[in-house]
Amino acid sequence: MLKAKIIVRYKEGVDDPEGKTIKHALNLLGFEDVEDVKVAKYYEIKLSKGDENEVEEIIRKLLVNPVIHDYEVRVERI
Amino acid sequence: MKYEKISDKVYRVKMRDASDDELKKISDEMGLALNLEEMKRIKEYFSNLGRDPTDVEIHAIAQAWSEHCSYKSSKPILRKYIFGIESPHTIVVMQDDAGVVEFDENHAYVFKIESHNHPSAVEPYGGAATGVGGIIRDVLNMGAKPIALVDPLFFAPPDYPYKKLRQGIKHPRYLLKGVVSGIRDYGNRVGIPTVAGITYFDEGYVNNILVNAGCLGIVKKDKIVRSRVTKPDVLLVMVGGRTGRDGIHGVNFASKVLSEKSEEEREAVQLGNPILKEPLIHLILEANEMGIIHGMKDLGGGGLGSVVGEMCYSGGVGAEVHLDKVLLKERDMAPWEIWVSESQERMLLAIEEENLEKLKNLCDKWDVEISVIGKSIMEKNLRIYWQGRKILDLPLNFLTGGVEYNRPYKIQKIEKMQEIPPEPKYREIFLNLLSSINIASKEWIIRQYDHEVQGKTVIKPLQGEIGFETHGDAAVIKPLHDSWRGIAITTVANPQIARIDPYVGSLYTMDEAVRNLVAVGAKPHALSDCLNFGNPEKEEIMGEFVESSRGLGEAGRFLEIPFVSGNVSFYNEAFRMNIPPTVVLMAVGIIEDMRKAITTDLKKEGNPVYLVGETREEMGGSDYYRMIGVRSTYVPRVDLSETKRRSEELLKAMKSGLILSCHDVSHGGLAVTLAEMAIGGNIGAEIDLRSMGVMRDDFKLFSESPTRWVCEVQRGKEGEFEKIVNATKIGYVGGNSLRVRDGERWLFNVHLNILRSRWKNGLKDYLG
Amino acid sequence: MKVAILQMEGTNCEEESFIAFRDSGFEPEYVHINLLKPGDLEKYNVLFIPGGFSAGDYVRAGAIFAARLKAKIWKDLKNFVDEGKIVMGVCNGFQVLIELGLLPAVDGISDEPQAALMVNDSNKFECRWTYLRRENDTIFTSKVPEVITLPVAHAEGKFVAPNKILEKIEEQKQVVFRYVKPDGSKADYPWNPNGSMNDIAAITNPQGNVLGIMPHPERAFFWYQHPDWTRKKREKGDGSLIFKSLIKYS
Repeated sequence: MLKAKIIVRYKEGVDDPEGKTIKHALNLLGFEDVEDVKVAKYYEIKLSKGDENEVEEIIRKLLVNPVIHDYEVRVERI
Repeated sequence: MKYEKISDKVYRVKMRDASDDELKKISDEMGLALNLEEMKRIKEYFSNLGRDPTDVEIHAIAQAWSEHCSYKSSKPILRKYIFGIESPHTIVVMQDDAGVVEFDENHAYVFKIESHNHPSAVEPYGGAATGVGGIIRDVLNMGAKPIALVDPLFFAPPDYPYKKLRQGIKHPRYLLKGVVSGIRDYGNRVGIPTVAGITYFDEGYVNNILVNAGCLGIVKKDKIVRSRVTKPDVLLVMVGGRTGRDGIHGVNFASKVLSEKSEEEREAVQLGNPILKEPLIHLILEANEMGIIHGMKDLGGGGLGSVVGEMCYSGGVGAEVHLDKVLLKERDMAPWEIWVSESQERMLLAIEEENLEKLKNLCDKWDVEISVIGKSIMEKNLRIYWQGRKILDLPLNFLTGGVEYNRPYKIQKIEKMQEIPPEPKYREIFLNLLSSINIASKEWIIRQYDHEVQGKTVIKPLQGEIGFETHGDAAVIKPLHDSWRGIAITTVANPQIARIDPYVGSLYTMDEAVRNLVAVGAKPHALSDCLNFGNPEKEEIMGEFVESSRGLGEAGRFLEIPFVSGNVSFYNEAFRMNIPPTVVLMAVGIIEDMRKAITTDLKKEGNPVYLVGETREEMGGSDYYRMIGVRSTYVPRVDLSETKRRSEELLKAMKSGLILSCHDVSHGGLAVTLAEMAIGGNIGAEIDLRSMGVMRDDFKLFSESPTRWVCEVQRGKEGEFEKIVNATKIGYVGGNSLRVRDGERWLFNVHLNILRSRWKNGLKDYLG
Repeated sequence: MKVAILQMEGTNCEEESFIAFRDSGFEPEYVHINLLKPGDLEKYNVLFIPGGFSAGDYVRAGAIFAARLKAKIWKDLKNFVDEGKIVMGVCNGFQVLIELGLLPAVDGISDEPQAALMVNDSNKFECRWTYLRRENDTIFTSKVPEVITLPVAHAEGKFVAPNKILEKIEEQKQVVFRYVKPDGSKADYPWNPNGSMNDIAAITNPQGNVLGIMPHPERAFFWYQHPDWTRKKREKGDGSLIFKSLIKYS
């Protein structure tokens, strides 16, 4: 069994409206020192067979649009 | 030991020899929300049978007898006042999950509004979303295609101090954003336009917000499906989502007072899935078109338990159900959990055996799961089996026939008084009113809802020049491709008047419903009511309910507008604070030719502006008095014969094409009505109040007297208009500001840009 | 002209699209992705991907729809485009075409997306009417006047692309509509409702037979669907002109 932990986030320089909105909300809630919020998506995918290549393929085929996204992946054998 | 295991996950509850204290304990331990009297009645029933009940039986009874399912506190009152108003057009009135009314020769419209208050207070996003999902199913299960949604919402003001919030209570801004997101994500995804609503702020909702949701659908008359099974040996089939632990005890939760603990009672909030619902709608409508559905009901509040019982009971048969056949999300669920679960996106269909194959094929196409769980039987009993063993056997008249209470009530005396404030600075007070949260633009909310999907929304919720739109009074839907006939939809509520006098509050709300529909050119046709109140076990709250219902019934009968569906939400109480009595109406009107529909935005320089209706010094409940903190119990008087006469006059003038824009006078009075009309038309007006007679100018401008409209009339048609409509000319359209005087005395002159920015930013400033 | 209107769980603009095609003289049919097989596309002249929230817009708007199409009929789809047949995606359909690499496809169909339609700058779903200026001559716009109004209704419609791609899109005259102010001048919010680069609302591929458009022409097909019809007389909806252009072309 393989478990892939994948974080997909906006590339540096791409505007993150959700992050901005959350930052604004936190400031309003009295957390005035919050300077930046970045939002990312986290996926945990279990594979019964498969290997790192399959994980990469999954990421490329569905999880990421390379125009706006960066990703980080960690694969564990379980 | 009060509980004895009799089979896998089934227990016998030894209650025949239980003391009163033990009965209460059983109710608490099992989470039944039944009171002692009810527990004793169950005990007595089983004592007579000579056996103890199973846990499944007790849960089934508790659910059927909950306020939410049985309407045990409200039914006697509803029967007295609200039920039984019919019109030549009504088809199904106060029977199934939604009312059905004739639209044209071949079609009917189906609609209902209901509450989803407690779940939304605990988890605003999920609660509101499932509220929308539930009301869609109510319309769908009459065989109708859902074509419009509405959503009246009630919160504490967005600037409510954090420090004043009680433990476990969330800030209104957080709640508002969560609720709006929930409605948006569900409604938009499922592809039904949200076309009307209310967002009302009052401190009375701080501990207990209200989220009401309404839906309207359209169906061919010969395809109306009833929620009943009328003969034995009809298969009971579940389609859609699987059954899980989510939403267990939701109805008991809805019938309970909120407390600090509510947050932990998360299991009572269900999670909706619009992407499951969307194919389910297709599937149901296709199956209905094929004529293979005998009866149908959605699994909303109360789950399988109440649905199987109600469908069979109302059709005069019984049922047997095999709980092993129900498809589950979690494998280890106990039978009682399966029976009461309120998981979303599920429907129960009654299908004749010969049609099962056809239904299965449709399910394949739309990728929807299906399972046959039982069938109807001749004997009027409900029997449930689990692993081959009978675990419930109850007559339906005991289970579903339910309980009823004639709760004691007290009607509050109203002492008549009205303080008179010093005359205000007009410009300042007018702009403050215009930007106050209950009057300011709701665009921030409205534009997050897709009100255009399906392409049938021909009069939108926001009206006027593109990019400069103002609030409309009602939306108009053109449901059929080949007909100009339209359906107008509006929602109304007036808690600030009802709080002073619930009876007058109801009359005023009815008048406003009529006003809004007439303003777009529609004839009022039918109503659905959602009655939100506090704890009915308190006499004064029950008194509010009685008075509100009396007002509604009286107005409905006089105006000949039937209530065809509705919902009562009690126990809107937390920390001993009850919400103001909140009667919400979803009102529907018919416009024979939508090409004659009218919007609120001013149209053209030089056209005369008229005020229809009488303005009086009755400031009780007005936004003006509330804002400046002056008291009055003189609430606006409603004369229903005026409501009737003036609407008929206006509709006649509209048919003749004399009226170019029209807006009812409500929150904030005449001044706000004029401002909204100018904002949407992107053109000003010059108004002289002298023709309104002798009265203080702040009363002329800000009184909220009922049965009033402002109309822009086609220039040169004044004579013709005045022959039909009894109205006062108060000015002309033109210029780029709103200029108001009383004879020689100028009250204010405000540029359009200032009007618009104050109105647009009043609420938005809080929401970002 | 046979039109395949693709359906998947969550698409929800198919009915008004069906009416728009039918009333313009096309022969539209619904095709559900669950029933779609290789070879099925051959009999159609137009492939239409309607708006909605395919698969709930989970992962990214349009991403799952695109991945499933790729898995099922990628070859057929590429042939369809190469043969010069017409592909049109509205709103969620535009998102699908970008995810598929059929748009902007500045150097031909790309394996990976070359652009994105991302979350609106306002971080909100926006349901509002926009003014659009016609930019280049295409088969979709031969009957369209210089400025029209169409509604948008989306949360993810901000067109972004790397500079090089954007330059090529402009160079190859792929922009079909830009958001503008009512007087035709450069748009700011809310006239540009999402913050799209270069105010882009619609593009084609370089060959001009694949159109992606965020605003909904099918919701402005009849005059009475326009929000200002009580102020301004029209014979038909502005959106109908796009369908009329296309039927004339065939």
